[in-house]
Amino acid sequence: MPHLHDLYRTAVKMLGDRARAEDVVQEVYLQAWKSFERFTPGTNCRAWLYKILIHTVHHERRGWFGARVVPDSQEVLDGASYTPPIPEQIMEREILQAIETVPPDYRTAVLLADVEEFSYKDIAHILNVPIGTVMSRLSRGRSLLRERLAEMARSYGLSKGGGCGA
Amino acid sequence: MSDGHFSDPACEAVLRQLDAYLSHELTDEVRAEIERHLPGCSQCADELEARGRLRAHLKAAVRAQPVPEGLESKVRNAVRGTPQAQHARWRAGWYAIAAAALIVICLALVNLWRLSRTDSEEAILRKTTGRMSKVLNVGLRDHLECAVRRDPKAPAAPAAEMADELGPDFAALLPVVESKLPPGFRVVSGHRCWAGRRQYVHFIVMSGNKVLSLILTRKQPGEWFDSGIYQTGVDRYQVVGFESHDDLAFVISDLDAQQNLQVAALLVPAVRDYLAAHQG
Repeated sequence: MPHLHDLYRTAVKMLGDRARAEDVVQEVYLQAWKSFERFTPGTNCRAWLYKILIHTVHHERRGWFGARVVPDSQEVLDGASYTPPIPEQIMEREILQAIETVPPDYRTAVLLADVEEFSYKDIAHILNVPIGTVMSRLSRGRSLLRERLAEMARSYGLSKGGGCGA
Repeated sequence: MSDGHFSDPACEAVLRQLDAYLSHELTDEVRAEIERHLPGCSQCADELEARGRLRAHLKAAVRAQPVPEGLESKVRNAVRGTPQAQHARWRAGWYAIAAAALIVICLALVNLWRLSRTDSEEAILRKTTGRMSKVLNVGLRDHLECAVRRDPKAPAAPAAEMADELGPDFAALLPVVESKLPPGFRVVSGHRCWAGRRQYVHFIVMSGNKVLSLILTRKQPGEWFDSGIYQTGVDRYQVVGFESHDDLAFVISDLDAQQNLQVAALLVPAVRDYLAAHQG
């Protein structure tokens, strides 16, 4: 099942929860199975599965989080006006933490483009948004990721400076 | 995004495009412009390197996350359902084929495509391994020995001759096959033949210069498909295998994988119904 692991990992990052990601991925395959007649032969099967994943995750989020879902808030957007330098050293754990703090729509776009390496056109299809929206979400998402990483680097720097190192 | 630490307008223009550059989303002209700028601008070159590094880190970190061991079988089981459900789904005709085709396309493609065209039949057959592939080879052998060797310019056999060669058990399958084929495909031969010491019922179908076989043969011990229909690509041939109670059936061609599967999806329900009705 060549796409399963990628779908699962994307789902984990989108939901921040492994157990729910497992359920979501299972649901994706069940949905794909049921709606196979809507798959156009010759088109990108992987993109089709991701489209179902996005739909399933949105549905899942609505069901689980209810009112806790924060629509991509304007403050977050407005905050992302400065692009800090990328730290020289990036730990795996930090980058995984950082991406989870990026609001869902931006995070999803970044995961699809920079991890799954879908084209902008495929992402527009998967997310069902215009390509311009994909580009702005990517730009914002990458910016926010950089900010979080820079914040983390700064906080580690401060703690070291504070004499906590051993 | 704003990049306040780059003040040169040329740099600003390049920086706006750097991510699209990394994603191969730029036109050749814009790409060339950026590539002209980078060697003379260490700031932009460093920024490109840093963005590329960030992406590589992110990709590696996400992909390093462990996947639960049982996930694949959990999903497979969910999709396949219980044996009873599976049986019911098979009876649902196209729906079942579509589902199985999905599994074939998306989950279980074994791609040994694009190997040398000059390989001998035995070399082609050796390219598959494992039990499932051996079962798929049962049909592939006959296709290679019978359909591929056939003179492609030979005229189609008259229907009466085909019916005669197919014998009373399978003569009535000929119109069924003909009715299911997509436009442009026609049966040029229907006969019984022997290959590798087993007997086959063989329909040879042509579309332009493409040759497709529908092949049936009695199951032998150890020959079965685990769940419905299987597909593999061996050399330049695409093989779809499925089964009825007593028989193995194959759709094999030099069409591409999708096309072969589409033709198979049209043929499988009718062939299964036919075999079920003529069992024993």
